[in-house]
Amino acid sequence: MQIIKTGKKTVDLAVDVLQQGGLVVYPTETLYGIGVDATNAEAVKKLTEYKERPFGKPFSVAVTDLKMALEFADLNSTAKNLYKEFLPGPMTIISKGKHKLAPGVESEEGTVGIRIPEYKLVIDIVKKFGKPITATSANASYKKRPYAIADILKNISIKQKSLIDLIIDAGELPHNEPSTVIDTTLDDPVTLRQGRIKLTGNNEVLSRSEEGTQNMAKELWQKYESHIGKRSIVFALQGEMGTGKTIFTKGLARAMGITELVTSPTFALENEYVTGREKLYHFDSWRLQKSDELKALGFGNLIKNKSVISIEWAERVSDAIREFDDEAIIIWVKIIFGKNENDRLISWRIEK
Amino acid sequence: MKILAIDTSCDETAAAVTENTKILSNVIWSQASAHAKFGGVMPSLAQRMHEERIDWVIERAINNSQLTINNIDAIAVTVGPGLSIALGVGIDRAKKLAIKYNKKLIAVNHLEGHLFSCLVKANTENLKFPSLGLVVSGGNTILVKINKIGSYETLAQTTDDALGEALDKAARVLGLGYPGGAILEQLARGGNPKVYSLPIPIIGQEERKMFTYSGLKTAMGRLVKSEKPLTKEKIHNLAACYQDIAFTHLVRICSYIIRNSEVGFRNLLVGGGVSANIELRKRLRKLGKETGIKVLFPFTKKLTGDNAAMIGVAAHFKAQKDEFINPAKIDRNPSAKITD
Repeated sequence: MQIIKTGKKTVDLAVDVLQQGGLVVYPTETLYGIGVDATNAEAVKKLTEYKERPFGKPFSVAVTDLKMALEFADLNSTAKNLYKEFLPGPMTIISKGKHKLAPGVESEEGTVGIRIPEYKLVIDIVKKFGKPITATSANASYKKRPYAIADILKNISIKQKSLIDLIIDAGELPHNEPSTVIDTTLDDPVTLRQGRIKLTGNNEVLSRSEEGTQNMAKELWQKYESHIGKRSIVFALQGEMGTGKTIFTKGLARAMGITELVTSPTFALENEYVTGREKLYHFDSWRLQKSDELKALGFGNLIKNKSVISIEWAERVSDAIREFDDEAIIIWVKIIFGKNENDRLISWRIEK
Repeated sequence: MKILAIDTSCDETAAAVTENTKILSNVIWSQASAHAKFGGVMPSLAQRMHEERIDWVIERAINNSQLTINNIDAIAVTVGPGLSIALGVGIDRAKKLAIKYNKKLIAVNHLEGHLFSCLVKANTENLKFPSLGLVVSGGNTILVKINKIGSYETLAQTTDDALGEALDKAARVLGLGYPGGAILEQLARGGNPKVYSLPIPIIGQEERKMFTYSGLKTAMGRLVKSEKPLTKEKIHNLAACYQDIAFTHLVRICSYIIRNSEVGFRNLLVGGGVSANIELRKRLRKLGKETGIKVLFPFTKKLTGDNAAMIGVAAHFKAQKDEFINPAKIDRNPSAKITD
């Protein structure tokens, strides 16, 4: 593994490594990304191993422009409009793939996420390389967002380190959100991940599976984890039975590094998980009717201690939760059923 | 050894006097009717009601046993798992009594109590190891390997809802009362489980060795919505179908584990509130027959739900091993594991 600062030779070095099927960590306008030749099956396999995620979860790719995108994907009119409006920039647009990329880059449904970074170095590398490179974040799944090289190296194993060939260190990046991910292959464009760019006024994303809901929880955790130690962080979850409130909390726990099994707290009303970097308190307020019930469970003390809390059926005790608006950052998350059986629309807001 | 046992882990205020595996008295003051209007156990209400009743329940248990506190050798109490503030009431009383009358104190895991509820009155010399233990209740669904009494390994547990909780939640979407599981069982008897089709959780993936009810629960929510308005007949059939699938899943996982284990299990000890369900008993007995395992259930329904007699029996085994605790050190452990 070689670490270099950005300089004259950076592009050549990176292209060399990519041509040999190597892994390159590179800066972007959002996070540090990790790139391999997206048409090289071996290289993509190596990347899957690095990311520690099951094969079949797709990787988005970086291209230089619309022309290169058209070689690898069919863009419908929605996609073309989005390219015109938002790219280059922090947006990943999912279209139907042309199956010219290595296995594992496109999704199982044959779609592919493409982005044009607003970052000259990346564009220069891809241009010189002449083929798309993967544009996934450089951290392993469910690990800290990589804004600095140290964020990556601290959280990976020796084996993972050995898989990286080149790191281009541009120092600490501004803490921008990851790209907004828009799927254009459905009737209407839907947001799968919400970054700086919003398509509608609301913060709303579509989850298509339990994994998607867990992933959304991770995104929200990473958005707000900077409040740790300053204020209590409360995820106030609303949604009918079966929408996935406990699933959401499972993803949250995973992002916090918790290894214990997260189960529904309906019976005991409060579960406490201690194996992560922070403790997580998981409440179920289905049976709670009044604020003093929540107090009897020690909610106020947890807030004072700047705890991280996930509370299901939050709508039932919303007044009691709102009392802590000053001491806690309260993220109101609403999950509703979508069109298809496994679809869930997840929206969130912070009340001031 | 004569033991006064106390359990206030949830919504039953319970005290019992036991001698080895024999019950001398078993008093349960149920709060269920008080909690019914809330659709579940309200912790602060449970705590208050435990406080109001605990002394009376203990006194009753001692009187019914024809003993006096002076004849009691040790005091046992549930320390978890359970509702934190409810557990505190029983622990506090047990501690005070142990100090006041200078009795030995025994801390008991509620799940171990449920496992041993089927050993009440039983001749434990016939119990052979390794065995299996299955606790199915409102708060727990866990299958353990019992190497010997006091030594357990978890083989499968729920990743989301407990079985009793899953039954309660189905009762909730059907608009039935609380406790939902028992009402669901009654209605299921008058229904046809084949009228509807619900997915069997992780069918074909039994090697994952876990119980999960969240997918079934979600499917049930959708099904009920699509069947509205509900008629009496529909409710019977929906209840039957849901219960059928919930039990099928439980038995499939147990069956997989038994059939794929290198260990020849001798007994299956079953406890917990849902073990009162007749249909479930039928299916577990059938599984036992097919796999050559003797299945044991509590001999009376009173021992399936929360009670203190089972805590006394579990405490008896701990006393045999000299596992007493200093009253100054006893503390509640709301998320206690049986493998702790």
